[in-house]
Amino acid sequence: MYKNNVFYFLVIVIIGWNTSVYSQQDNIAWKEESHVYTKVLDAPLKGYGMGDSTSLLQIAHQNPTILALIFTRCTGICNPFLLQLSEKLEWEIEHKNFNIVVVSFDPRDTEADMSALAKRFHLDQEKQWIFGVTDSIKSLNKSIDFNPIWDEARQQYDHEALLVGINSDGYITKKLIGMRSTSDLALLVGSIYNSFTPTHQLPNKNRLFSCFNYDPKTGKNTPGLGLLFIALPAILTIFILFASNYLGKSERIG
Amino acid sequence: MESLKTRKITSVWIVIVLALFIVAIILGILMRLNQGTIIQQSPVTFYGNMTTHGLTMIGIWFVAGMAAVNYLMERYVKTSYGVNLFALICTIIGVLMLWSSTFIGHFHAGWTFLYPLPFKVAWAQWATPVFLASLVVLGVGWLVWSVSLMSQILKKYTLSQAFAWQHFKKNPAVETPPFILITMVTLVGVIACLLAAVLLLVLLFAEYFSNGSFVNDALLLKNLTYFFGHTIANEMLYLGLAVIYELFAEVSGRPKWKTTWYVAVAWNLSLVFILTAFFHHLYMDFVQPEGLQIVGQLASYLASLPAAGVTVFSILVAVYRTKINWSLTNLLFFIGVAGWVIGGLGAVIDATISNNFVLHNTLWVPAHFHTYNAMGNVLFSLGFFHWFAHKFDVGFNIDKNAMLKLTLILFGGIGFLLAFYIGGADSIPRRYSNYPPEFTMAAPLATVAAVFATFYLLAILLFFLNITKKCIKIMSSTS
Repeated sequence: MYKNNVFYFLVIVIIGWNTSVYSQQDNIAWKEESHVYTKVLDAPLKGYGMGDSTSLLQIAHQNPTILALIFTRCTGICNPFLLQLSEKLEWEIEHKNFNIVVVSFDPRDTEADMSALAKRFHLDQEKQWIFGVTDSIKSLNKSIDFNPIWDEARQQYDHEALLVGINSDGYITKKLIGMRSTSDLALLVGSIYNSFTPTHQLPNKNRLFSCFNYDPKTGKNTPGLGLLFIALPAILTIFILFASNYLGKSERIG
Repeated sequence: MESLKTRKITSVWIVIVLALFIVAIILGILMRLNQGTIIQQSPVTFYGNMTTHGLTMIGIWFVAGMAAVNYLMERYVKTSYGVNLFALICTIIGVLMLWSSTFIGHFHAGWTFLYPLPFKVAWAQWATPVFLASLVVLGVGWLVWSVSLMSQILKKYTLSQAFAWQHFKKNPAVETPPFILITMVTLVGVIACLLAAVLLLVLLFAEYFSNGSFVNDALLLKNLTYFFGHTIANEMLYLGLAVIYELFAEVSGRPKWKTTWYVAVAWNLSLVFILTAFFHHLYMDFVQPEGLQIVGQLASYLASLPAAGVTVFSILVAVYRTKINWSLTNLLFFIGVAGWVIGGLGAVIDATISNNFVLHNTLWVPAHFHTYNAMGNVLFSLGFFHWFAHKFDVGFNIDKNAMLKLTLILFGGIGFLLAFYIGGADSIPRRYSNYPPEFTMAAPLATVAAVFATFYLLAILLFFLNITKKCIKIMSSTS
């Protein structure tokens, strides 16, 4: 009987460990949760469609804001990212009064470059869209934990497609990394109006004992080692119980 | 019969528990006075007091139950004095460490210390590791004590006898006393939840000392936190019930209760359900699988039925149209069972998922757990303390203040709890140090609660003076 118990215990441990190790292979160290609920830098802005405002927080104080980071010489994700954003936010924009501030993180970009970009996407007449540059881009990047890396060979920035939700008080309410679904964007918009938005830490290679491992490629959750850990106290208790019973047996007989 | 050493150490436990209880009640009253705007505490002080109050209360009433069970268990099996003493030393050191982290280091993450709060340091840097270390010290002491008591039972009874499985059939050859059955079931649950605490603390320390190379999963830690917290809060009630099953009939001058098939079935089922009921603390966690939420609701319903049903039935049968030698001890037991049942009903209402959407984090939550603790478990232990202290008193043995104590406890306790229940029904949130003006009833209710709690405190002071005097005599006695 004891042999059987030990065997079942080992089987459960091995299955749990394998499930976890296998499902954690695809983990990406995304950092959507960093700097959420901290105040964004009040970066001075120059650009198109800003009205009387001169800084990011002034814009945010007028209306909740979504901040998008791109650069005009981008040959990668920036253009499809901006195009998708303009299409998917169309319905939200019609019904809610928030700003979308597109800021270049490339110091080479000028106000004129950003204005041309706005015209190219037919967003120059949309008053909720603001295109600008700032001379405090390093500090702004730091305040939202955005880290583009210059690739000398490609003469391009290696960067994430980042959206940052900022409420009227200037706090970061939510961040989205990558090309995301309409429902994710709706959650982002909800968050800048201080609505509750469910969130959970994303996969992280340093998180070894997740209850579930989310695969962003398939959108599926698989059970992780953490689930076994929830059951572990009960399993150990059964082990202690049987061990105590075994040890007590000799005294009972004696 | 119990040894003199066991008698003395039980006296020490009782005096320490009552002294800490008085401090913890005062902290609670100060919190309610602050919410009532009668006094002004900074939020740091308020939440520091809340952390100390919660953990101290959980700790002292757990050890009170353990000390009582340890004492009464000597009637059946020999227990280890060394382990009892080790648990006492660990408890004293643990409480001192805990209080230094909260009173000196200003740690104020609440008794649940939900991840990642302990690492969002808004207090002295050293307070987080000292707080976590205090829990390690307490946990190790209590775990060793629990395993030791369970092992002692298994030295006399087989595993199936300890769980009274032979009572599932007619005419069992060996009878398992209800006290042994309930204690065994409870100790298994206690060991499981203390192991959950060990695991939780290991993971928290791993992250603390890893400098970011290891991070925890919030869902896992919340599950472990409530596996420990919810389960120990319930198991300590069961320790009190074990005492009642052993003493109620004895002090009432009635035949001793026996284990029947339904008592055996009920308590065995309770073990399963109590270990899975904690899932109801995660109803608001959208990432928790729906299946576990349903398990949480079902287990919450089923955990309360067998133990409560059988115990209430047994108590009612024992007193209905029967001549009972009523004393303060069995009156406290009887009222305590009523408080436990009322608090339990409040808990089941809150554990229903559809209700939880309304009641979650309102004053309903402290209402129900204060009911089955302040008017349930505390009375179980006070009943034992009173019985124990007077058992060895050779002098004049009538407690003149018995009625006064009971009146103060009932008057103060019911008034204090009503303020919580009315606040909960009015959707007043809990854990607010200061209420915004929108909650018009919050401050007046808090003030009323503080006044009633003061009457409850007076009763406890009377118990403390009376029982401590007798316990000191026991400590200094030589025979």
